[in-house]
Amino acid sequence: MAVDQLIVRYGEISLKGHNRSEFEKILVQNVQRALRAFEGVRVERIGGRLSVHLAGNPAEAVAREVCRVFGVVSVSPVERTALSVEALTDAAIAALRQAVLSVEQLATTFKVDVRRANKRFPMPSPELAALIGGRILGEIGSLRVDVHHPHLTVYIEVRDEGGFVYASKYPGLGGLPVGSSGRVGLLLSGGIDSPVAGWLAMKRGVELEAIHFHSFPFTSERALQKVEDLAQVLANWGGRVRLHVVHFTEVQTEIRKHCPEELSITVMRRMMLRIAERIAAQRGLKALVTGESLGQVASQTLDSMKTINAVTNLPILRPLVTEDKVDIMRRARDIGTYDISILPYEDCCTIFVPKSPRTKPKVEEAERAETRLDVERLVEDSVSQTEQKMFKAQVHRTP
Amino acid sequence: MELYFDGAATTPLLPEVEQELTSSFSLYGNPSSLHAKGVASDRAIQTARRAVLGNLGAKSGRVIFTGSGTEANNLAIAGVLRRFRERGRHIVTSAIEHPSVLEAVRGWQREGWEVTFISPRQDGGVRAEDVLDAVRPDTVLVSLMHVNNETGAILPVVEVGQVLRGIPKTLFHVDGIQAFGKLDTAAAVRFADLYSLSGHKVGAPKGVGALYLRDGLELEPLCYGGGQEFGLRSGTENVLGIIALGRAATVAAEHRVHNLEVCSALATSLVEGLEAISGCMVQRPETASPYIVSAAFPGLRGEVLVHAFEAQGLYVSTGSACSTRRGHVSRSHVLTAMGRSEAEVTGTIRFSLGWWSTPEMVEQALSVVSEQVHWLMGVTRRGR
Repeated sequence: MAVDQLIVRYGEISLKGHNRSEFEKILVQNVQRALRAFEGVRVERIGGRLSVHLAGNPAEAVAREVCRVFGVVSVSPVERTALSVEALTDAAIAALRQAVLSVEQLATTFKVDVRRANKRFPMPSPELAALIGGRILGEIGSLRVDVHHPHLTVYIEVRDEGGFVYASKYPGLGGLPVGSSGRVGLLLSGGIDSPVAGWLAMKRGVELEAIHFHSFPFTSERALQKVEDLAQVLANWGGRVRLHVVHFTEVQTEIRKHCPEELSITVMRRMMLRIAERIAAQRGLKALVTGESLGQVASQTLDSMKTINAVTNLPILRPLVTEDKVDIMRRARDIGTYDISILPYEDCCTIFVPKSPRTKPKVEEAERAETRLDVERLVEDSVSQTEQKMFKAQVHRTP
Repeated sequence: MELYFDGAATTPLLPEVEQELTSSFSLYGNPSSLHAKGVASDRAIQTARRAVLGNLGAKSGRVIFTGSGTEANNLAIAGVLRRFRERGRHIVTSAIEHPSVLEAVRGWQREGWEVTFISPRQDGGVRAEDVLDAVRPDTVLVSLMHVNNETGAILPVVEVGQVLRGIPKTLFHVDGIQAFGKLDTAAAVRFADLYSLSGHKVGAPKGVGALYLRDGLELEPLCYGGGQEFGLRSGTENVLGIIALGRAATVAAEHRVHNLEVCSALATSLVEGLEAISGCMVQRPETASPYIVSAAFPGLRGEVLVHAFEAQGLYVSTGSACSTRRGHVSRSHVLTAMGRSEAEVTGTIRFSLGWWSTPEMVEQALSVVSEQVHWLMGVTRRGR
């Protein structure tokens, strides 16, 4: 089958009223960027969809890349034919044969969906559908017609430029194009949860800036490398990720020196948020994203969240708040961060982990615990010592 | 100044080795080829073989070049056990061997062999009587390391070898990887049937090792093929690696006595300096290689110490380099076998010296250690 273009569908963008054209523009840019390894590929907007002209590049490989772009709902490889019943029928049979092979379950039923935008074409849609359907039944003996719940649908569009025929539909990720919802700061540890939270936020259209708290020598260079690898994977999905590495050692040691052990995690998280808030102000980040999941550890109880949250007015997005660990792990595997996250370099050295942390710390207690801490100076110093590194999507990435 | 105190993990390339390698890059012939190109490569290998034999102080015997010290240990153990399996089913070794011996014999244990693991004394040494008492009529192999890679303890390989000479059916393998090129190995090699060594612990690059075999001893190979290395290590030889190892062996032999004197003095001042640091415990084995000094900082974590020191340009190891693979710092089996407490084991750091070490480096290293340990103790001990 001679496929020379892909049809790319997007969903929610079309609901966005007068912002729609802006969203579409971002989506086109993101698709173009995802396809920069393919020479000559052209992306254009037509009638609420995108059309990707393959220019001789393999349809499967290009489709796979497009399916990774947030905002894309589905992708179909399309054959363009001459405007004749013969040509449309041949293409429909070829497309269905291909689809039978590529779907996972056994496909036994089909329907023909014809749209005739070109009213100069002499045959009306229902007649054309019946005619082509009949020919298909004759050619592919294993298929029956089912117009209500078909396993496969062959789409035939009759337009001014020609006929467009396709039967396969690859699902995309959905969501919104990255960059359409503004920028946020992701608190990125080396663990399993935070990269997944970042990915989900990206799926809702935000651009990520990751913020990592590094406590050398209590955490090693290898632990930092792991965080950089995670940032790279996220950049491969979202196009680019800026990583801020905060030197957090002094904050940790000061907390250990001056704060009650059982509240050290609470104070540490509050310090992280204060520093992240400062970075957010500098970088114009509109919210912070964390990998917190309700009740997972002592610092993620509702009381803890309230007390930790009290230091900032920035919205804190917690995409995983209601997710179970096993589901987060499954997502991490799908995204490709799991194998990196489980590498055993600790991201928060055990000497700073109290034996029995408070699970219900109160705001006043945390404030009292911080009285001997020079909060302002520590935040200032940490922010001024923060290093930045930019990660861009790799053209030849390992899957 | 870079303070590299991790020579037991690996060494930098010796300048002489680098020179020799540079001038050998054009030597591309396959040593097995009949023509002049092959002969040139083969000759270079034979020169290296003599150099290694010479360094070992062996009057006769064969040197088989391998891909690593680990491979030499594996070849020694598997080669003997498979060749002489009709003699018995028993192995004697110590509990503080390097994993390349320990894991190899455990593999044979799973195949049905019986293994006696000799426990060390509290100082990390091993008693010769303990080893010899474990030998039975069906003992096919005794495998002992010459120098322990974590504590520097010198094991009584000469005494054990002397007695085993009188029991010809029990073969004696010495893992000499931390001794080769550093200590006088002649006596140990005289009484050993097999002796393993590695190139990158003595200034050659990684990827080459060797196994010395007493004259007349036949083994079963690990790898079958074209019959290179006396049929014991088939595969086209790593000519450049072998040349490098040969050169390193010669250089090490020339400077051995001098280096040993210098490092003994350095080890003494290092030990004294460490003992003066509060919170540091140094327990030297009764007989120890001056190239390895192990110190415990109970209450601190070895891993954190390594990173704190490296930030100041001082490079050391926790236990042995091999115990930190993939980031897992596994509890040292050596220190555990010595009966050290949990806090001592997790807080132990290994300093190891080499020909590049100087008194200034030791002095600077001590000041880094003292400063960082002081700081870390302050952090670890809760204020308030």
